[in-house]
Amino acid sequence: MKHFRWLICLLAVLALVAAACGGNDDDDSGAPAPVEAPGESAGDDMDEDMDDEDMDEDMGDDIEDDIDMDEDMGDGAMDDDMDDSDVGQADPEEPEVDPCEAVDLEATEVGITSDTITVLVMADVGSPLSPGLFQGSMDGINAWADHVNAEGGLACRQVEVVEHDSAINPTETTNGFLVACESAFALVGTTALFALDTVDLQTCPDAEGNEIGVPDFTYIATEPPHQCSVVTFATSRPNSECPYSGSGPRTVQSQVGHVQWIMDNINSDLRGLFLVPSDLPSTITSVMPQVRAMESAGVEFHSVPGISGFTTQSEFGAFIQIMRDNNSNFAYTGSDDQSMLKWRSEAEAQGLDADSIIWMCTLSCYTPGFLEAGDVVEGTYSWGWYLPFDEVEQNQELADFIEAIGTDFPPAWAAGAWAGGVLFEQIVNDIVAESGPNGLTRQAVLDQARSVTSFDVNGWWGPADYSTTQNIIPCFVLLQVQDGAFVRVHPEERGELACGAENVVESTRDWAAEFGG
Amino acid sequence: MILGLRLPVALAALAAAVAAVVIAVFNWKGAPVTGQTFLVTTYIGLFLGALWAMYATGLVVVYTTTGVFNFAQGAIGVFAAFLYWELHVNRGWHSVLALVVVVGMFAPTLGVLLDIVIMRRLRTASLVVQLMVTVAIMVLLLSVVGDIWEADTARRVPYLFGIENGIDLGPSQLPWHRLIVFLVAVAIAVAMRYLLRRTRIGTAMRAVVDNRELAALNGARPNVVSSTSWALGSMLGALGGILIAPELGLDPATLNNVVIIAFAAAAFGALRNLPMAVVGAMLIGLLRAHTGAWLDFGPDYRFAHLAIAPLLLLFVVIALPQARLEVGRLAHNLRRHERFTKWWEGLIGCGVIILVAVALSGGWLDFGVWDPGAWGSRELNSANEAMALALIGLSLVPLIGWAGQINFAPLAFAGFGAFVYLKLAGDTGNGYWIPLVGLLCAPLGALVALPAARLRGLYLALMTMAFAQAMSLIFFPHSWVLPTIGVGRQFPHIEMFGVTFDDRRGFFLLIVSVFAVFVFGLVLLRRSRYGRRWMAVNDSQAASATLGIPVVWTKVVVYALSAAMAGIAGVFWATVSGNVDSVQGFDLLIGFNIVLLVAAAGVSIPVAGIFLIFIPLFTGLGHRLEDTGNVDFLVTLLDITTTYGPGMLVLGMVFNPRGAIFEMGRGFSPMLPWRGDARAEIAAENAQKREPEIGELGIERPFTPEEVVALDRRLGILDDVVPKEGYGAARS
Repeated sequence: MKHFRWLICLLAVLALVAAACGGNDDDDSGAPAPVEAPGESAGDDMDEDMDDEDMDEDMGDDIEDDIDMDEDMGDGAMDDDMDDSDVGQADPEEPEVDPCEAVDLEATEVGITSDTITVLVMADVGSPLSPGLFQGSMDGINAWADHVNAEGGLACRQVEVVEHDSAINPTETTNGFLVACESAFALVGTTALFALDTVDLQTCPDAEGNEIGVPDFTYIATEPPHQCSVVTFATSRPNSECPYSGSGPRTVQSQVGHVQWIMDNINSDLRGLFLVPSDLPSTITSVMPQVRAMESAGVEFHSVPGISGFTTQSEFGAFIQIMRDNNSNFAYTGSDDQSMLKWRSEAEAQGLDADSIIWMCTLSCYTPGFLEAGDVVEGTYSWGWYLPFDEVEQNQELADFIEAIGTDFPPAWAAGAWAGGVLFEQIVNDIVAESGPNGLTRQAVLDQARSVTSFDVNGWWGPADYSTTQNIIPCFVLLQVQDGAFVRVHPEERGELACGAENVVESTRDWAAEFGG
Repeated sequence: MILGLRLPVALAALAAAVAAVVIAVFNWKGAPVTGQTFLVTTYIGLFLGALWAMYATGLVVVYTTTGVFNFAQGAIGVFAAFLYWELHVNRGWHSVLALVVVVGMFAPTLGVLLDIVIMRRLRTASLVVQLMVTVAIMVLLLSVVGDIWEADTARRVPYLFGIENGIDLGPSQLPWHRLIVFLVAVAIAVAMRYLLRRTRIGTAMRAVVDNRELAALNGARPNVVSSTSWALGSMLGALGGILIAPELGLDPATLNNVVIIAFAAAAFGALRNLPMAVVGAMLIGLLRAHTGAWLDFGPDYRFAHLAIAPLLLLFVVIALPQARLEVGRLAHNLRRHERFTKWWEGLIGCGVIILVAVALSGGWLDFGVWDPGAWGSRELNSANEAMALALIGLSLVPLIGWAGQINFAPLAFAGFGAFVYLKLAGDTGNGYWIPLVGLLCAPLGALVALPAARLRGLYLALMTMAFAQAMSLIFFPHSWVLPTIGVGRQFPHIEMFGVTFDDRRGFFLLIVSVFAVFVFGLVLLRRSRYGRRWMAVNDSQAASATLGIPVVWTKVVVYALSAAMAGIAGVFWATVSGNVDSVQGFDLLIGFNIVLLVAAAGVSIPVAGIFLIFIPLFTGLGHRLEDTGNVDFLVTLLDITTTYGPGMLVLGMVFNPRGAIFEMGRGFSPMLPWRGDARAEIAAENAQKREPEIGELGIERPFTPEEVVALDRRLGILDDVVPKEGYGAARS
């Protein structure tokens, strides 16, 4: 017993201190600052421009339609001499009317008070074995909230962020939904891999007791229940048809514009390997459509092997042999940057002529860590659906993000979370414009979100339709590692994304069965 | 005998070979078999084997020279790899200097510290305690690594010797790094074998394991020898970690899991034979490399190549000769003063559990910030998960606590129960199927028990670990077993007695009630003939067999019971989750944690399982404190407690091998009016503390306590007179 005194003492001390610490740190920082409604700056002009665009028209052209972001941004287009002070300034001739002073702000919904709007960001951060994994999501939302609050707040209120660590754990993820249900107005910027059970998310009661769910402006939705949640709006845009039973054929959209461009401009006879991340069924079913889409574009794959986080670099030697035996010139990984790093390192170890091969991966390779590998990753292509981080002078939203996040090369999770924040901000502003700052309810947000047919993060991302669950961003920018840095290859003009309906291929198959192993 | 193998082993090997051929034929990828591909694949396999051989060598050295099988070997490698990265990559030290510091200074220091602080106290501990403590060290080391080097930074350890240049093999090449690593691994194995077999220190190392006291009487210095062993083992683990990190990347979980391959390799050498351990590692490396090159297993068996090591481990352990009945020794932990809980005490205890749960979950008791009744759905959700895990943990009480059969696969049994329930109840949530789930899980337990009945101790632990790993890699990821769904819950809310338990508070009461029923059943069982038989088998199989107890049948029954309980618990566990992740949900570390916490609580005590409820209690308190405002210090403290607490508690087993609940019960029971026996026991212990000091016996030579114990034993003084830990420990 004596050896457990320390534990008992610890428990007792904790209990005493906890009981004594009933106070809180309420401060008055939530007092609403004079507002020009946020987003009524450069971004709003741009939003309106984009809203005016008919996506069908935009994507219907068979001719490649490179959207010039400067044009799209209309009056908000960033010039080199752009200055924050230029943004959203009121006309000094007109008397200023603060819309927030015209109404008595009310607690209209769960998570809303007269002073604050509480949003919850959930991310897999605190797993004992991978602490800090998606910390970028939390950083992104905190940066967004700070930025919004600094500009006067949202709907005449300050944004408060509650963090929830889903810890790569389904139960903790469900707990996050429960916390959001009880205390937050909406979930924003979620990056949780194991959102397996979304029942609580979709049936959460609002302030009036109606089980309408919590609006969820997530970054990624990996599992079918999350992808098909009727209250979830993923800024990475799910590519898959909903509703879905979980097995059998499913219609999926895939992006092929990048590989098509390479075939049109570099090598029309691409043949090689596609590595599929095979640890989770969800990664298999989300990547296999990409394989078939590339094949439909004319790429020939000798093999589509699965790789795991446990695959050693030397085991990539088997892939090198296949490439050598088949004289491959194309190597694509649907997995993370580490897989490409191992693959290229092994190719070097095996003496494969790396220059004769087009190495390519997704946005997952667009990381500072990938560049730190040095010469071995030189020439690798990566593609994404938003302007690269170094093009801050081309887009005010990107500039705001980079300034707020405090690093020149933040993780993609931060960018995705910020995009979720901007989407939420736009929807709230639309509601406020229509119904006033007391018109904010979860139902209103859900209704408004379901009517968003084009959202492009104020010109930073390619535009996407949020009115359906299956509508990927039809844009890409192709980057390549050159001299230790990511350099834009196509479109060549900074600030541009290559957009067009022809970039998207849609097909229906049983994707799990498509995978060979 | 066939080719020098015993007939059963030869037949098993033949069956395995035939199975391998059939698997290869049906999963042939169709890639052209060229000499070049074969050569490259072979050297890759040998290189991988060399890396794993280094881990395996460390395991064998430590086991051979200390008798402790170090589950933390992989974690030592992980820590060393991160430290090497920190010094070499992050701080720019030269690779050789960093290597010397990590392998030559840090690793041996860590090994010696582990020996002095922890391992020396485990000499007389039971195998369960020894294993649990090394698992706790593993968990703690990984937690420390996670806290120091967070995962939000990409890290890469460069190859020690570079891989750009090497021996030309036609269009391919063999990099110098891989050739050197292979040679180093073989050289280390040869050197270690020479050290153990041909040198004085090596002989002393082995002698100390066989008979510490006798070795000491012959001039060996046991403490120095064991510290040397741990230092050597740590150095090999560190070197292995640094060499394998460039291959896998710096991810703690991935790097640590490599150790399971080393376990299989070490088992191939019967844990003591270094050359065979190296051969085992090479064999696994070759099998993995060639499997990857030539075979496709399809989506349902996509982890098959990773399952090679656990399957080999399973095969090797099963093929081992039957453990001999140990005779002529006194069992370590005879329950001379074992008291059986009376049935009415159990009934009252279970009633109290249910009443407390009702009171707390209903919010009838006000504990302020502690108040579970004020908790919301989040806390209840966590509490439900913890209770489900506690229910799984409860299944270990008869198996490990009473029968002494180590089992690292409770989650595999629970998962199997969830699977059976899914197939029986479908999407109805019909709770009346749950008893049948238990009945159907029992045969799986019996199946595991058949090989287990032939094994003892460590081999049993390894077998169950391999079984759990094989299930998580082969069975659960199959799409038919736990199919993914697109909408709703895979496991609907349970419906019983006309009630749908879709309310978390109601489900909490249901699961607590099931827990209480199980506890009461175990209390009764412990008093029964079977319960006594299990404990007798645990104390001495030889004596049990002599008394006519069917040892094998007894083991089969206890495994079946444990599997049935775990299977039922699995239904609740899956229902709490709603959707079970077929890959992450069965991670071996989760199973380890369940066993760890139950062992720390006291695995022979039925209510020990409820210890797991402390996790959500602490986590929930952290959330509440966060919600209340500016108490960062407390939140951090709770965070640290939640992260490190379980491991620290298990380390507490070094001092209290029978667990926290047992010790608390010993402190509490004398207060109960009807427990005169407990008061008498305490009085007897106090009297025993008045044993005369050695000096009072008129012996002038300064014998060490260990020497005195050894002398007493040689003189035939029984264990119950000589304190188990020696006189010195008794005094302290």
